[in-house]
Amino acid sequence: MAATETSTATVPTLYTNTLRNAFGGVLSFFILLLIGVLAFSIRLFSVIKYESVIHEFDPYFNYRVTQFLTKNGIYEFWNWFDDRTWYPLGRVIGGTVYPGLTLTAGTIWWLLNSLNIPLSVETVCVFTAPIFSAFASWAAYLLTKEVKGAGAGLTAAALLAMVPSYISRSVAGSYDNEAVAIFALIFTFYLYIKTLNTGSLFYATLNSIAYFYMVCSWGGYTFIINLIPMHVLLCIVTGRYSSRLYIAYAPLVVLGTLLAALVPVVGFNAVMTSEHFASFLVFIIIHVVALVYYIKGILSPKMFKVAVTLVVSAGLAVCLAMIAVLIALVASSPTKGWSGRSLSLLDPTYASKYIPIIASVSEHQPPTWPSYFMDINVLAFLVPAGIIACFLPLSDASSFVVLYIATSVYFSGVMVRLMLVLAPAACITSGIALSQAFDVFTRSIKFQLPGVSSNAEVDAGETSSATAEAQNNVVKTEKTETSKDRPSRKSKKKEREHVEKPSTKAKAEKKRLLALPLEASFISLLLLVLLGAFYVVHCVWAAAEAYSAPSIVLTSHSHDGLHVFDDFREAYAWLRHNTDVDDKVASWWDYGYQTTAMANRTVIVDNNTWNNTHIATVGTAMSSPEKAAWEIFHSLDVKYVLVVFGGLVGYPSDDINKFLWMVRIGGGVFPHIKEPDYLRDGQYRIDSQATPTMLNCLMYKLSYYRFVETDGKGFDRVRRTEIGKKYFKLSHFEEVFTTHHWMVRIYKLKPPKNRIRGKTKKSKSKTSSTSSPRKSGTKKKNPWH
Amino acid sequence: MSRPSQSLPSHATLNQNPSSPISETKPKKGKKKEMAIFSTHLFLLLFITLSLFLVVSTAGSEPELVADLLTLQSESKSGVIHLDDRTVSKFLTSAKTPRPYSFLIFFDATQLHDKSELHLRELRQEFTLLASSFIANHNNSNTKLFFCDIEFRESQSSFHLFGVNSLPHIRLIGPTAKSLKDDSEQMNQGDVSRLAESMAEFVESRTKLTVGPIHRPPILSKKQLGLIVALLLIWSPFVAKKIFAGETLLHDSKIWLSGAVFVYFFSVSGAMHNIIRKMPMFLVDRNDPNKLIFFYQGSGMQLGAEGFAVGFLYTIVGLLLAFVTHVLVYVKDATAKRAAMLFAIFVSFWAVKKVIILDNWKTGYGIHGFWPSSWN
Repeated sequence: MAATETSTATVPTLYTNTLRNAFGGVLSFFILLLIGVLAFSIRLFSVIKYESVIHEFDPYFNYRVTQFLTKNGIYEFWNWFDDRTWYPLGRVIGGTVYPGLTLTAGTIWWLLNSLNIPLSVETVCVFTAPIFSAFASWAAYLLTKEVKGAGAGLTAAALLAMVPSYISRSVAGSYDNEAVAIFALIFTFYLYIKTLNTGSLFYATLNSIAYFYMVCSWGGYTFIINLIPMHVLLCIVTGRYSSRLYIAYAPLVVLGTLLAALVPVVGFNAVMTSEHFASFLVFIIIHVVALVYYIKGILSPKMFKVAVTLVVSAGLAVCLAMIAVLIALVASSPTKGWSGRSLSLLDPTYASKYIPIIASVSEHQPPTWPSYFMDINVLAFLVPAGIIACFLPLSDASSFVVLYIATSVYFSGVMVRLMLVLAPAACITSGIALSQAFDVFTRSIKFQLPGVSSNAEVDAGETSSATAEAQNNVVKTEKTETSKDRPSRKSKKKEREHVEKPSTKAKAEKKRLLALPLEASFISLLLLVLLGAFYVVHCVWAAAEAYSAPSIVLTSHSHDGLHVFDDFREAYAWLRHNTDVDDKVASWWDYGYQTTAMANRTVIVDNNTWNNTHIATVGTAMSSPEKAAWEIFHSLDVKYVLVVFGGLVGYPSDDINKFLWMVRIGGGVFPHIKEPDYLRDGQYRIDSQATPTMLNCLMYKLSYYRFVETDGKGFDRVRRTEIGKKYFKLSHFEEVFTTHHWMVRIYKLKPPKNRIRGKTKKSKSKTSSTSSPRKSGTKKKNPWH
Repeated sequence: MSRPSQSLPSHATLNQNPSSPISETKPKKGKKKEMAIFSTHLFLLLFITLSLFLVVSTAGSEPELVADLLTLQSESKSGVIHLDDRTVSKFLTSAKTPRPYSFLIFFDATQLHDKSELHLRELRQEFTLLASSFIANHNNSNTKLFFCDIEFRESQSSFHLFGVNSLPHIRLIGPTAKSLKDDSEQMNQGDVSRLAESMAEFVESRTKLTVGPIHRPPILSKKQLGLIVALLLIWSPFVAKKIFAGETLLHDSKIWLSGAVFVYFFSVSGAMHNIIRKMPMFLVDRNDPNKLIFFYQGSGMQLGAEGFAVGFLYTIVGLLLAFVTHVLVYVKDATAKRAAMLFAIFVSFWAVKKVIILDNWKTGYGIHGFWPSSWN
C-alpha cells in the first residue's frame, strides 16, 4: 500500500536516503501498532454487544482446564484425571488435550498476577484470542515482508487484522485452539522463509520451536508438516536446491519431530502415522540431492558424469527400500495410517461415502461460492493477481506462498472449516497484489503529474522497488552458479551491492517509460480504495453482526425492543446452587462442557466424543419410553436430566431437533432403537401424526411436559405445529426447574419405589398403560442388564 | 398395466432419508443363542417326523431343481440367473417349502437404466460382483443361495407377485418363505449404499452363509499393467536425462502459474461442492420445461454452472489487475494502454458489482456501516 514511503529495505550505498529510511521504519512501526490495535478492537464487538463471557461449547472446556491449571500448577494439570465427566469412566485430561492454548493463557495470567495486575482467569481467557490476532497480523507482516517487501507486508497485515474468516474464530470470548494456532501457523511459515532467505541456523532452530508451539496448539499442525516438505520437493524438482533449503528443512524435521513427540497428545504419532511420512520421505530425498550437489561440487564435470550414475542408482535403491518399508508400515495399519478426516481432504468424496459422522458435521461441509464472499470478501478478487505477482519473478519464498495459497484454497473447497487456513494465505497474496497495484498507479500519477519533474524525488521511490527486483536478480544469479564455490557472506554482500548499482540506475531510466495513462490510473486508484473501503465495512459488519453471538446468551430484536434470553446460565446456576456437589446430570453431549464448567456437576457425556457407546447409552435413554429410560439413567447414578427446549421461544437448535441423531447414534449400538419407529413415512414430526414410539419417548415427554399450559394449544414455534400429545403425566421423573423462557428444563429422577408394592403395581400398570407395539421384554431393552 | 414408468416411482425421496447405518445388520446376541438351542431341537423333531414323507413326495424334484439352477448359473457369465415368470413359478411358487435354497433377487428394469438418480446400472454391477465373488468363494459347490435378476418388462406378473412397485429393489427369499410378498425380506435402502460389501453384510446377517471377500476386478488388467510398467521403464531414462538437464515442463513457471490460478478458480467456484454433492450443471424449471435454471436461490446449495460463473467473476478481476500492473506497463502505445485500462476497469467494476448483487439475491446479503449516530 505504502511501499514507496515505508520501505525499510536498506540500501547501504545511498546515504542520502538513510533519513528517509529511518522515517519509513518509524512510520511502519506505528502503522503496525495501529494494525495491532485494529485487530484487537474489531474483535471486541462481542464484549460490547453482549458481555465479557466465554462463548459456545468447547471454549468452556478450555476455560475449565485453564482454571485448573492456574489453581493447581502445571504438574497437577499434566496428571489431571477428570472425574467430573464421562461418569463413571472419567477422562484423562493431561494427555488428551492440545495444551498450547491453556498454557498460553495460564502464562499470561501468571505474568499479570506477578506484576500485581489481578485479572481473573476468565478475563484472560476472553481476551487471549484478540491479543493473538494482533500477533498473527504482525506475523503476516513479517512473512509478506520476506516475500515481497515491507509495503506488501503492511498491506497483508492490515488485511489479516480484519479478515472475517479469522474473526469468526477469534472474537473476544471464543477461547479455542484456533485462536492461538493461526498465529503459530503464520509465524512458523515466516521463520521457514526467513531461514530459506538467510540460510541461518539460528532461524532454523527458532523455526523448530515455533513448530513445536503449533503442535502444542492445534491438530492442524499436520498442514505445516506436509506443506513444507511439499515446498522442498517442489524446489528440488524445479532445480532450486540450495544449501539454504537444506538448512531450512533438515533441522525442522529432526528437531521438530523430536519436539512434537514431546506433546503427550501427539506422542509417537509423530513418527507412526502417515500424515508425517511425507516429511521423512522428503528428508531422505533432500539428503540424496545434497549428496549429488556436493559430489558435483568436488568433481570435474567429466568425473561427475561417471559418478552421477553411481550415486543416482545407489540413492534410488535406498529411496526405493525406504519407500517399500514405509508402504509396508502403512499397509499394515487398518486405515492405511490416515485418519478419516485427512483422507476426506485428499479424496473429497471419501467422507460422504464411508464416514457419515464426519460428513454430517456442518463444519465439514464443502462450501459454496457465497461462503468465499462472506469469509474472505474482496480478497477473493485480488488473490489471482497476487499469485501472478508471486511468479514475477519467482523466488523460493514466493513459490512457497503460491504453494500455500493453492493447497489451502483446495482444502477449503473440501471443508468449510479450513477456510480459516486459507484466510492468511489470501491476505498475504492480496496484500502483495494490492501493494504492487498501488505501486504502479501512484508511480504513474507521480511521473505525469504536472509540476513534478525533478529527478531527485523520483529515484527515492524507485530504489526500493528496484532493490527488490535487484535482490531477486541476485537470488537468480546465485542459483545459476549453485553452491560450487560457496561465497562467504561478506563477499555475497559485496556482490549484491555490485549488482545493485548499475541496475538501479538503469531501472530508474526505464521506469519512466513504464507509466500508465494518468486519468485511468487515477480512476483505478480510486476504485481500489473503494474496494478496500468495502472490505473494511464488510469486515466490521461481519464482526458486529455475524460472528459475535456467544450462543450462551441469546438476543432477539422484535418490535417491542430487545429480548435477552439468558436461560442457559440460569439453569446452570440453579444446578450449582440447588443440587448436591456429587449429583450426576445427564444431558445430550452438546451441553456436557458447559455443565461441568458452569454448574460444576458431574456429567455422563460431553463434547469430547471419545466414547461412542456411552453417548449411545444416553441417546438410547432419551429415545426409550419413560420406564426404560429411568432404568438406564438409574443404573448410571443419574439424579437430574437436563433437556433444552426451544418450542416456546422458537430456538431452533434444541434437543427435539437434534433428537434424530440421538436415535441414530443410540440405534447404532443398541439395535432395538430403530429410526423408522420415530418417523412417519420417512418424515420426522411431533404433531398428531407422529408415531406412538415418538410420542412416548423420554425426550418428547421431558420437552413437552406441561407445555400445553403455556398457551392452551401446545403450539411449537420451532416446528410450527401443535404437538401431538398434550396432556400426560410423568411417572418416573419429576420436574424440578424450568427456566424463564422454558429453554432449559431440569427433571429429577423419582426414587425407586418400595420393592414389594412396586413390583405388583408396576407389572399391572405396564400391561394396562403401555401402548407400545413391542411389548416383548422391556427388560431386554435396558442395555445395562 | 399402464405405462411402466408411472407404476415404478423412483426411490429418490427415500434415498434422502439417511437411516441408521449399522443397526439393521447387528444381530441380537442373546436372542440368537436361545434361538439356536431352540431351533436345533425343533429341527431334529421336524426332520424325523417330516423327512420320511416329505422326502418321499418330493424326492425327485428337489435335487432336480438345484441341478437346474446350477446349470443356469453356470450358463450365465457372472453367475446371476435370469428369471422370468415361468422360472419364478418353477423354482419359487410351485416348489414346496422349505426349499433347499434361498434366492437373492435383483429387480431390474431396462427402461429405467438411463435414469441416473436410481443408479440401477451401478447397483446391478455391484450385484453381479457379489454373485461372482460368492460363487468363486464357494468353488461353485454352493447350493444354498442363488443370485437372480428379473426384468420388469419381461415378467410383470412376477413383479406383482413380489409386490415390487419401486426400484431399486433387492429381495431375499428364504427357504421357508411361502408368500413371496410377505415372507421375503427386502434389502434396506440405507444398507445397500450401492456397494457389494454392504450387500454381502446383508446376506450374511440373514442367511448365516459366509460370502467371503469380494473380488473386484482390478482397474487395469495384468496385461495393461505390464505394458504401462514397460513403457515407464523405457521412458524413465529420458525423463531422468531431462530432469538433470533442467528442461522439463516442471521448470516452466508458466505451467505452474496457470496451474495455481486454475486450482484457485476451481476451488472458489465451489466445484468441490458440486462433485461431493453431485450437483447438476443446471435444473429444468418445473413450471416451464423449456426454461433452464442456472442459479439456485438459497445458501448452502449451488448449481454447477452458477459456481463456474461466479468463480470466473472472482478470477477475472485479479487477472485483469495483474495484466494491468505487470503487462500493460510495458506496452508503448499510449492509446492502446488507455483503451485496455478502461476495459479492465469497466470489467472489474462490473464483476465485483455482479457478485455483490448475486450474493444479495442468493443469500440476502446486505451490509451496513456503523457510522456515528450524530451523522444521521
